[in-house]
Order: sequence, then structure tokens, then C-alpha cells
Amino acid sequence: MASIHLQNIVKRYGGFVGVQNMSLDIADEEFLVLLGPSGCGKTTTMRMIAGLEEPTEGQIVIGGEVVNEIDARDRDVAMVFQGYALYPNMSIYENIRFPLRMRGIPASEHDARIRKAADMVELGSFLDRKPGALSGGQRQRAALARAVVRQPQVFLMDEPLSNLDAKLRQSMRVQIKHMQRQLKVTTVYVTHDQIEAMTLADRIVIMNKGAIQQVGTPDEIYSDPANTFVAGFIGSPPMNLIEGSARDGRFTAPGISVPCPQFVQGKVTLGVRPEDCHVGGDNLQGQVYGVEPTGDVTYLTVLAGTKKIEVKAARDYRSDIDVPIGITFDPAHLYFFDEGGQRIRGTA
Amino acid sequence: MATARKSRGESLLLRYLVLGGWALVCLLPILWFLSIGFRPRTEVITPQPIYWPTFSLDAWHLLVSDWPIAQYLRNSVIAVVGSVIIDLILAIPAAYALSRYEFKGREDIGFYILSTRMMAPAIVAVPIFFLFKTMGLLDSVWALMLIYAAINLSLVTWIIRSYMLDIPKELEDAARTDGAGDLTILREIIVPACLPGIITAAVIAAIFAINEFLFTLLIASTSNAYTMSVALANFTGGSDGIIYNAIALVSFIAFVPILILVILIQKHLSRGLTMGAVKG
Repeated sequence: MASIHLQNIVKRYGGFVGVQNMSLDIADEEFLVLLGPSGCGKTTTMRMIAGLEEPTEGQIVIGGEVVNEIDARDRDVAMVFQGYALYPNMSIYENIRFPLRMRGIPASEHDARIRKAADMVELGSFLDRKPGALSGGQRQRAALARAVVRQPQVFLMDEPLSNLDAKLRQSMRVQIKHMQRQLKVTTVYVTHDQIEAMTLADRIVIMNKGAIQQVGTPDEIYSDPANTFVAGFIGSPPMNLIEGSARDGRFTAPGISVPCPQFVQGKVTLGVRPEDCHVGGDNLQGQVYGVEPTGDVTYLTVLAGTKKIEVKAARDYRSDIDVPIGITFDPAHLYFFDEGGQRIRGTA
Repeated sequence: MATARKSRGESLLLRYLVLGGWALVCLLPILWFLSIGFRPRTEVITPQPIYWPTFSLDAWHLLVSDWPIAQYLRNSVIAVVGSVIIDLILAIPAAYALSRYEFKGREDIGFYILSTRMMAPAIVAVPIFFLFKTMGLLDSVWALMLIYAAINLSLVTWIIRSYMLDIPKELEDAARTDGAGDLTILREIIVPACLPGIITAAVIAAIFAINEFLFTLLIASTSNAYTMSVALANFTGGSDGIIYNAIALVSFIAFVPILILVILIQKHLSRGLTMGAVKG
């Protein structure tokens, strides 16, 4: 078991900066999720922790030891890949056994450890099969078993669920979280899926363009976003971001007028989540653009000026399009961002 | 509906007729020398057409008694198998380096290796003759083995490299984080994963080696080193003039091993021959 420290990590590919000056402390036994759109540097960061890529600058410390100069094979780190990366010529049994053989673990221990790992992911009866004879979900579980079997200090998971269908993803998510809690191994998990991030993580690191945007628990990330990127990335549907101006304690934009704190002044962006918008009232005056019932909730899109605002309405809400409508924003959950997209916080 | 089905059946029949006809044209020479090989000598040289040939094993008996066919076959097998083994030992690591390691001039080296194939063999015939003469390796099977290996090395490297390029990089990353070093990765992951490619390359190299003529003619001067291809060319049938039915039979015997090899790798052959066409 180990903590991980990244100190001022920079990764450059020629002129392109993959990761810029990243510092991060990952606690022992923590489940940390790196979240961001593709190309944001999250996979590069993980590959540097694994030792598959070298940082251009900065230090990586695992379990108190600087590992920059240590080859991937000698770091006590297990990785699960997006494409499973099972060895096609070996049976599942041999696949799971491979890291044990490579690490010189006594052969007498192999069988018991392989069966324990396989049982953990419910693959006990598939050990004789070749990877080609398994379904996607089974292959991913085999890859998990291969990572688990040698009890590494750190698990790294690179979008392990992105090749699976939605239903399987949900059940695998629970399985991964359960396993991580059971084994108490420090885990770094890369994904671009915010639901995975929210459900799995102890803490989420949101990245964009090679830089950390915000680090926090899922609750903090959701309810206290640091900038418009984080606000717009988390939540489904994401937060409404409305550009307008604030003066003398009031924010206005076409069709919208809400009270705002005195310290918010000038050109600003108002952020309000769909669930903090309620049908009725007059903070927003617009027309119904579309209604999407999903069963447990109805998504309502309202046109205010040229801006479309998402509202989570009651499950039985129905309306024709173009009907005039008023919306109230929950005053306790309004977020204001400056022109650079950074959150404006009160000085008080 | 019925008309559609009928015309479909007709087009299928037409397809079989055309392809069958073409196959017959291709196979005709082989059928022809097979038919000559099993006819009596007199029937072969008669100017009148013979529509119902007589079956005869004369040529076979002549071969077995007069011609060291076993020796030639043995020479062929030793030279070919040996050369393929040398090729694989050298080509597999080379292909791995060319497909995986990033180094300056990688593409140039890859192209240089392939370009050795583009030269007319006759250009190096004389230097090679003197080289082997100096080494005292003329008229020896070992010399043929080395020459075949050298001729086919570029092709074998290139075919295996194209298969290795198709192996996902993730597999190696996984093996590396599992604790494997470069050689272990090559031995336990890469080679088994591109085994079809390695077999294809080996068979193609074997076919080229079996058919090699120019250098074999240059190096081999007696039955010490004669392989089937050269023995065949020197074979006239014996002391009583050209014996066509025996020549035909020998040709057929020389053809059989290649036929077997091709049938074995039929599935992979087209892939091997278009190697690097998609990923270069």
C-alpha cells in the first residue's frame, strides 16, 4: 500500500505540452479519479505513474520512493487497460498467472492466488478459456483479476469500462468499487465519463488541456465548481451557463433577471443547475422549446432570448412548444463566474 | 421472384464455368507433365496424337535405379530448412526492433532492408562465387543454406514486421507493468501473437528457396550440393538421349512439396504477399 506524490510534473512532446506543471498528492488507500475530455493529459499522467512514459520535468514519488528512474517492470504497480490487453495466446489462467511468474513469486503459491483472484471477479469457471472465447465484460474482469493477483501497491485503471455497454458498465462499476474497498489498494482511475467519476471516486481531479482544473470530493466538485469548465463538465444535463451583466445586486441577461450579491459586478456568467430551476415565477421569462419525459423526471428546455436553458421539471410536467413560461432559480444555488471563467467568491 | 432465383442460379453457374475454365488453363501444364510422366517413352515421342495413353511406370523405375533423387531431395531439404531457421532467428528480433523501437532512421533502415530485394541477383553472382570460393565452401549444402538465408532475409523481416505492427501496443504495456523485460515480451507475447505471420513468412521463404536456381547453379557442381531445382535442369534422363517422360516425372516430384506448403498456408498467403500494403 502506498501514497503517490506528483511534484511539478511536465510532459512535453516536441512543442506540444501534454501535462503542464501538475502537482498532486494521492493518499494511501484512496480511490482517485482523473476526469476530463480526451486529450486533456489524464492518460499521459497515468502512464507516467506506471512508468510507461517519462516525465519531461518533475518528480513522481510512490510509497516514499522517487520512481522517475525506475522501469515500469520494477514498479509495484498494476494497470488495467481500455482494450483489456489480455495475452491472446494464453488461457485466462495463464494470463492471471503471468505477473506472478514475472515477479518471481514461488510457483507453489500460484494456483491458490489465481483461483482467489478469479473468484473475486466471478471468473472461476472460465479459467481454461482463451480470451477470444470470452465476452467483453468477462475479458475486462479477467484483466482485473490479472491486476489484483499480485497485490500491488497501486492500481491504475485506464478507462476500463469504456468498451462495455451501459448496463454492464453499471455492474462493473460497483464491482470495481467493492474490490477497491476490500483490497484497500491506492487506485488511480482515468475516465471521461462523469458518472463513473462521481460514483467511484473518493476524490476527483478534473483536467483540461494538460492542467488540473479542480481537485475535490464528488460533492465539492458538484456543488462548488471552481470555474465554468468544471461547472459545464459535471452534471447531466450540465449546469446552465448564462452570459450577462451584473450591476447593483442584480444580474440581467435577455429574458433573465435575478438578484445577485453586491460583489458581483460587470460582465459575468451565471451558472445554475437544471435541478435548481423551478417552473413558475419570473426570474426567467421565455418560451417552451422542448419537453423530454424520461419516466422519473421530465427535462424541459426553455428559450430565453437566444439561450436555451435546461430545467429538471416534475415527472408529470407536460407542455406544448412555444408556450410562454416563467422559471424561478433557487437563490441559494446560483454560481457566478468572471470573464475568464473563474468563480467569483465573496470576500466575506 | 422465381425469375430472380433462376437468374441468380444461372449467374452462379456462369461463375463456376468461367473460374473452372481458368483453373483448367492454369493446371494444364501440371496435368500435362503428369500425363507424360506416366506414359511409355515411345508414346511420348511419337508425332501422331494419342487420345488414350497407356499407363506405364517405366520412367519411375528409371529414376529410382539411375538417378540419386534421394540425395538431391536431401540437399534441398537441408539447405531450405536451414536457411529458413537462420532467417527466423535473425528476422524476428529485427522485425521487433523495426516495428516497436523509436530510433532515428528506423524507416530508412526498414526500406534499405527491403531494397536488397530489388536488385537483380545476377549483379552479385560473381562476387558471391569468389566469396564462397575463398571460404572453400563451393559445392556445399552449407553454402546454399547461407545464400538462401541471405536472399530471403529481407522478405521474411518485412512480412513479420507487418504482422507485429498489428499487435496492439497495449499488450506490451501490460506485459511491462506485469514485470516482463524486452526479451520476455518478445518471446512470450509478441512471437505467439504473430505466429501466423511467422509461419507465412517461413513458408514463403521456403518456396523461394526451393525454387532458387541461379546461385545454386553457381555454387553446386556435383551431386554433393545439387538440389532438386538444379538437378532437374541438368537432367536429361540418362545416357540414351533425352527421356521426356522421366523429365516430366521429376518435374512433378519437385513440384509436390511446394504444392503442399502452399495448401498449408493458403489462408495467410495473400496477406503475406500484400504485406505492408496497409501499414507500411
